[in-house]
Amino acid sequence: MSFEEMIERHIDIVMREKISSGRPVIGTLCSYVPVEILHSLGVIPMRLWGQADDLHEADALLQSYICPPVRHLMAMGLEGRYDFLDGIVHCYTCDATCGLFNIWVRNLEPGFSHMVSIPYVSIDEALEYAVAEFRILIDKLESFTQNEFSGDALENAIALYGEVRSHMLEVYGLKAGGLPISYSEVYSMNVCSQVLPVEMMVKHLEEYLEEAKRKEPDGGRGRRILLTGSVITDIPLMAFIEDAGCNIVADDTCLGLRLLGEPMPGGGDPLERLASWYMARPPCASRADFPSRKRYMLDTLEAFEITAVVFAHQKFCDPHLSDYPFLKGVLEEAGVPSLHLEMEEEGFAGRAQTRLESFFEMLETG
Amino acid sequence: MSGENATPTPALPPREGRGKTAKRLKANAALRQIIADFYADGHRAKAEGRPVGWIPPMNGLIELFYAMDIHPIFPENWAPICAAIGTNSRNFASAAQRGYSSDLCGYFRNNIGYALDGIDEENQPLGGLPEPDFLISFGAGCIPTMKTFQVLCDHFDVPVFRADLPQVALEDIGEHHIRYGVTQIKRLIGFLEDLTGRKLDMDRLSEAVAYTDEACRIWDDIMETRKVVPAPFSAAEIGIMFVMVTRHGTKVAVDFLSDVLDEVRGKVERGEGVIPNEKIRLFWDNIPLWHNIGLFNYFEKWDAVVVAETYSSAWTMRMDPEKPLESIAYKSLVSYPLVSCVSLNKRIELVKKAVRDYHVDGAVLHSNMSCKPISMGQMDIQRVLHDELSIPSIMFDGDHMDGDKFSLAQFQTRVDAFMELLLDRA
Repeated sequence: MSFEEMIERHIDIVMREKISSGRPVIGTLCSYVPVEILHSLGVIPMRLWGQADDLHEADALLQSYICPPVRHLMAMGLEGRYDFLDGIVHCYTCDATCGLFNIWVRNLEPGFSHMVSIPYVSIDEALEYAVAEFRILIDKLESFTQNEFSGDALENAIALYGEVRSHMLEVYGLKAGGLPISYSEVYSMNVCSQVLPVEMMVKHLEEYLEEAKRKEPDGGRGRRILLTGSVITDIPLMAFIEDAGCNIVADDTCLGLRLLGEPMPGGGDPLERLASWYMARPPCASRADFPSRKRYMLDTLEAFEITAVVFAHQKFCDPHLSDYPFLKGVLEEAGVPSLHLEMEEEGFAGRAQTRLESFFEMLETG
Repeated sequence: MSGENATPTPALPPREGRGKTAKRLKANAALRQIIADFYADGHRAKAEGRPVGWIPPMNGLIELFYAMDIHPIFPENWAPICAAIGTNSRNFASAAQRGYSSDLCGYFRNNIGYALDGIDEENQPLGGLPEPDFLISFGAGCIPTMKTFQVLCDHFDVPVFRADLPQVALEDIGEHHIRYGVTQIKRLIGFLEDLTGRKLDMDRLSEAVAYTDEACRIWDDIMETRKVVPAPFSAAEIGIMFVMVTRHGTKVAVDFLSDVLDEVRGKVERGEGVIPNEKIRLFWDNIPLWHNIGLFNYFEKWDAVVVAETYSSAWTMRMDPEKPLESIAYKSLVSYPLVSCVSLNKRIELVKKAVRDYHVDGAVLHSNMSCKPISMGQMDIQRVLHDELSIPSIMFDGDHMDGDKFSLAQFQTRVDAFMELLLDRA
């Protein structure tokens, strides 16, 4: 089964896993939720991700000026697609997901709910504080699951998620190195890593890598693109860019490279290591200050030899829309051309296609 | 977000109706002087070489500033002034020209446009803002506030203190949150001591904290008077909040609020309401429309008065001068969740309590395109008001900074129908 097919079926897959294993499933709204902790306490973490059949289901609880991804999740919840969840955990990152968390808890009444108030900036004092926040989550989960926290179980979870991230980085490396892997596949892999049980993901990634390595390199066709934005879900957008002869080799979104970080070093207290790792991860727009966003952008441009950047922003996305002029300036200084697209509720549509075509033409002639 | 930066924009006469509001508080004259003095002090400090620091609102750092003779400037507090005097449109245009989406918060767009372009203009009201000598950039409050300071840090070539203030639901604030805040405040003290070359006098900080505590106590007493029927003043007087934002930690706030309290208590004793024949008492949710603060007077056409608001509760807290660092850390943590959706359940409790305590007949909810943290959860609030308290409400679309995102005609049509409904129930 391909990653794309697994996304289509992920809710069924997780529900089956819940029934067969007897483990509770807890939904997460953001990649900053320390899934290793959930896993170590016998929970199956599942990032809420997808599109509702009818977005307007959300109108009863959310205004139209809330970003489409948040409205989609609320509508999915109201459609009953997440009724099997045992709970929900969020890390306060952006205001819209915080609001969603609160409204979700109030209206859908999950059996377990918790918000981790993580530090926003990586300052010296943040580690002790982050560990304290993680301990509160552990205490509440112990009480909910009736499982006892253990360092060994956390080490095991850290190793499993580390393995997944390492395989995913390898996929990015193979694509950047010239293997014909579409970004749609990479995106689907990224989603699967967030929504499927980690053990399943390890197995699928091993098989995927084995198969990918048998492909003939095509030299990495076309311009090397960095795709940046918050929640980008439009496979047609990704396919359109690559069908136009470009190669999306890196990303800066709520999925993908930023979530993979550096491998976690061993030794010492696993909880402290885990907190350090989350704090050191390249930060998202909701958490970062400009210098760290700039650093990540420049490092990624260099590491992946990026020749053009496409910003794809969700409408009403405060963190990313606020960062955009600054990052655009960073790119101009670096001499890297960029295009800005603002996604509407209907997703990748005609106007955006026309602008992309013009951008690519400009790159060709420029 | 943070609607706590009240601005004393003069209440405009009703655009329609019987023009009943002639009873503005006398304290407004003093308030105008306090505002002028606040900005004049900033320019004087600049001229005399004393440091001016720009900081985000809704935190306890102001006490530290005043204890160290540093003049604070709150760009977010400047935004409502721009909206009232009409320079917001120019600032929005500057922000748009620099690539900022018109969907972003109006405070953000105004402040970026002003700080990056407008600040250099000649003949500004109140002299404009003195440029910062340093900036404090928090991971804190709402995203637009945080991002405003990131843009400012990139623009102004001045020292920056970066700190953190996680969002925690009011009911979840624990010892480790306070401890985290105190650690950073200690680091900030070191930063400010290096900057000024002077040591912080802890006695002066305790004194500043005591002033804030007293101001909060008087604030609660002032709000208490609005529970009386008829209410002695309406939301159109919300400009008195200016001192709660800019002059906490000083005797200025305490003296001014004491005078306000005397005045409103006098009105209560005389049975003098803001309008003579009060029939309907209203609750207002979300930030006022700073570009049209006179909107509050529109309700008077129907003998209605706004007697309580969401965010006037942002100052319902106590400080302990014996523990100044813990107090300002606590204040920094509680101001934001008191009015936003960080803790929706707590906010709904506050609304319910206000509706009961202030004898509210109906609620008006401003669905504010410029403020997601306050606006999210408003449908839940409406349902609770209806289901649990049988209180009718209306919600209208608007924007606290941008008049182009608000239709006065639609507002009036909806309010008229709503008032008729409330009068029928009375």
